[in-house]
Amino acid sequence: MSSFSRSAQQWATFARSWFLIDASLQPPGKIATMCSVRLQGKHKPIYHALSDCGDHVVVMNTRHVAFSGNKWEQKVYSSHTGYPSGFKQVTAAQLHLKDPKAIMKLAVYGMLPRNLHRRTMMQRLHLFPDDVIPEDILANLTEELPQPRKVPKRLNEYTQEEIDAFPMLWTPPEDYKMK
Amino acid sequence: MVFLTLSCWIRNRGPDRYWKVQELLKHARHFRGRKNRCYKLAVKAVRRAFVYATKARKQKKHNMRALWITRIAAASREHGMKYPALMHNMIKTGVQLNRRVLSDIAITEPRSFLSLAKLAQARREEGFRVALTDGSEPPGVFSRVVCQQ
Repeated sequence: MSSFSRSAQQWATFARSWFLIDASLQPPGKIATMCSVRLQGKHKPIYHALSDCGDHVVVMNTRHVAFSGNKWEQKVYSSHTGYPSGFKQVTAAQLHLKDPKAIMKLAVYGMLPRNLHRRTMMQRLHLFPDDVIPEDILANLTEELPQPRKVPKRLNEYTQEEIDAFPMLWTPPEDYKMK
Repeated sequence: MVFLTLSCWIRNRGPDRYWKVQELLKHARHFRGRKNRCYKLAVKAVRRAFVYATKARKQKKHNMRALWITRIAAASREHGMKYPALMHNMIKTGVQLNRRVLSDIAITEPRSFLSLAKLAQARREEGFRVALTDGSEPPGVFSRVVCQQ
């Protein structure tokens, strides 16, 4: 790295990378914080608000994003059309059915700084409802980020050997009838 | 009446008004609109600009420190540590580098910053290391205890 010329070194330092995040079965808020950090460039030691050092972030499987708790029914997204009696309130489940990318988009939009750079940063965020990504974006990807939440295995994903190898927690008596 | 001839009515009201005006306008040349040309508007704008400059000298110190902290946090997260843990363990180990120097090291000398991060991590895990292992010094970390032995 010390053998590069100054301009080449600067070009490499300020180059824009493309990150990939898989949002399936992940909480959208945690994905959104990771996205907003990288869109602003705050993961780089050379960060400055005016240096335009943000990177591109591609989020796939936004349709399979998973809220914790009862947020699908309780979280409300509000908006106003500007016309009288135009106040609309939609639950997260309804909004997700209408547009599978909207929840991630609104989450990231709310986490970015409220200045004129926000729109530019949102343009550098690419959301895809499934894992079908266009080839020109696939060609640009540099790094995949680890998922924030460890996805637990369903019971039918365990093999019979693992189920048998699991230690018995209690021994049932002989006349106990298992359902 | 004192001024009886025409030549006595002429008053010299100060020979250098032009230069006094220019002295003020030179501070307004980069402003937008008529404030960069017209004296009456420029007086108010320049005074406001100077007031802002005076107040900003303190804000600059705050802003610079916040920037250093952001940069150090980013660099330490690259090495798997968070900013509060890094700073607390650097204080515990006795490293008295301030945030300005740390952010410069993080940018221009990444390997030195990595070694500082590893030092902080070693000091952070010291309790666990003493409890779980036989309590020997971690590899690659010099300490006063080693030297005195």
